[in-house]
Amino acid sequence: MASGTKKKGKPNAVKAARASVVAKKGKPWGTIAAVVAVLLLAGGVFGYAYVKVSAAEKFLPADDNKDPSEKIAGVVRQTYSPGQHVDATQRVAYDQSPPFGGPHDGVWADCTGIVYPTAVRNENMVHTLEHGAIWIAYNPDTVTGPALDKLKSLVDNKPYMVMSPYPGLDRPISLQSWGHQLKLDSADDERIDQFIRSLRTNVYQHPEPGGRCDSNGTGFNPAAPPPFVAEQPGPDAIGMDGKPVTPAPPAAPTSSAPPTQ
Amino acid sequence: MGNQAGDRADEGQTAGTAKRSAVVYAAAALAVLLVGAAIGMLITLSAVGRDDPPGADSVDVGFAQDMRTHHLQAITMAGWARNGSQDAEIRQLAFDIESTQLDQSGQFSGWLTAWGQPALAPIDQPHMRWMAGAAHGHGDGPAGTEQMPGMATSEELARLRNSTGAEFDVYFLQLMLRHHEGGLEMAAYAADHARLGYVRNMAAKIKQGQQAESTLLTDMLTARGSKPLPS
Repeated sequence: MASGTKKKGKPNAVKAARASVVAKKGKPWGTIAAVVAVLLLAGGVFGYAYVKVSAAEKFLPADDNKDPSEKIAGVVRQTYSPGQHVDATQRVAYDQSPPFGGPHDGVWADCTGIVYPTAVRNENMVHTLEHGAIWIAYNPDTVTGPALDKLKSLVDNKPYMVMSPYPGLDRPISLQSWGHQLKLDSADDERIDQFIRSLRTNVYQHPEPGGRCDSNGTGFNPAAPPPFVAEQPGPDAIGMDGKPVTPAPPAAPTSSAPPTQ
Repeated sequence: MGNQAGDRADEGQTAGTAKRSAVVYAAAALAVLLVGAAIGMLITLSAVGRDDPPGADSVDVGFAQDMRTHHLQAITMAGWARNGSQDAEIRQLAFDIESTQLDQSGQFSGWLTAWGQPALAPIDQPHMRWMAGAAHGHGDGPAGTEQMPGMATSEELARLRNSTGAEFDVYFLQLMLRHHEGGLEMAAYAADHARLGYVRNMAAKIKQGQQAESTLLTDMLTARGSKPLPS
């Protein structure tokens, strides 16, 4: 046995060497399988964790995600002072159209999931935003039929949602939340859902957490809301600082004959 | 010849093994990194919702209990004004204050329930002890106070309730203004010192909102030919 083994030793060694060379040129399947299995497992664990974390961060307001709308392209942000009121006869010279913050009527428009068929006075709508509502404004000339129905379905009977036509809107759709606006062209845009998820009653973003959505007979009739006024407000309007817009300096002779340059 | 071939084969084998080990080590390192990153993310995720609830002596609990008590009196006064005033502007503002503070007081009691704390401080416990670090100028110090700033007395409440018309309107505005201003100190302290982010957020919102409403109340008093109560 021993001698036989020894005798065959040399040729066997060569054979083994050759075999190992052959094996090296081929694939070490066992090792590959083991490596792939470990990588798949690790990748799976990583993937699970990643999905969990990104799901937690996506459009869900939380203490560590105070403004999820930062991840939405196209959102315009502006900081406004809360709690400045005007009365039913006054107008505010808003800095944005549609406005999404600033002085507003003491009474809010009802925002208990109401789809207003007619355009509503801005000063009442802005107060709904202070309470955490989302206002969907649309251009009645460009948003009709199925697109309009889709928007209505997002609002109808949903708390802290309100919708109204906005004549002359520069884009088909405009979403408003206090200090946030997103203008869009399509009712099918996924950012509509993202905006609503991110900002509706987001206590980190609107000034009055807990503010109510029904006006309860305090001066706003949702069945006959005060109408939207398209004309620019006059010099008697209230400015964004809550103070009357100071009229332009008295028209001196110089202003009637401006210097030509 | 045979020996040389064998040596070459051994060298080849060694090189091949080294290459293979490198791949295995690299894969192992990658696996460790991936799992490590995953664990890190999951720990962060679970840590977010896993704070120990604040204790009985914390700023968070003290603020929630005392601000709830403070809010409840404003809700009472605003409810009277919403029902009883003939002045539309006052009714609107009263309803706004009443409904907002009622919701906030519900948030406070919800937090306190979840934290395993009473929704109101014990009757015999002084208010604002949790503000021991603040110099709030009422001479109460760390011992707290029986009467929070801005709170109306039972006599004042009775007088408000028994008045009508313009007298009611003005007295309501005066009491509510003093009430709003009195709550600012607590809100400001909690906005800076509460442990939980959502408590700090609410305190900051109350501070900002009541400051703005105080201006409004002052303007409304002026417009009705009156002025704030002497401090």
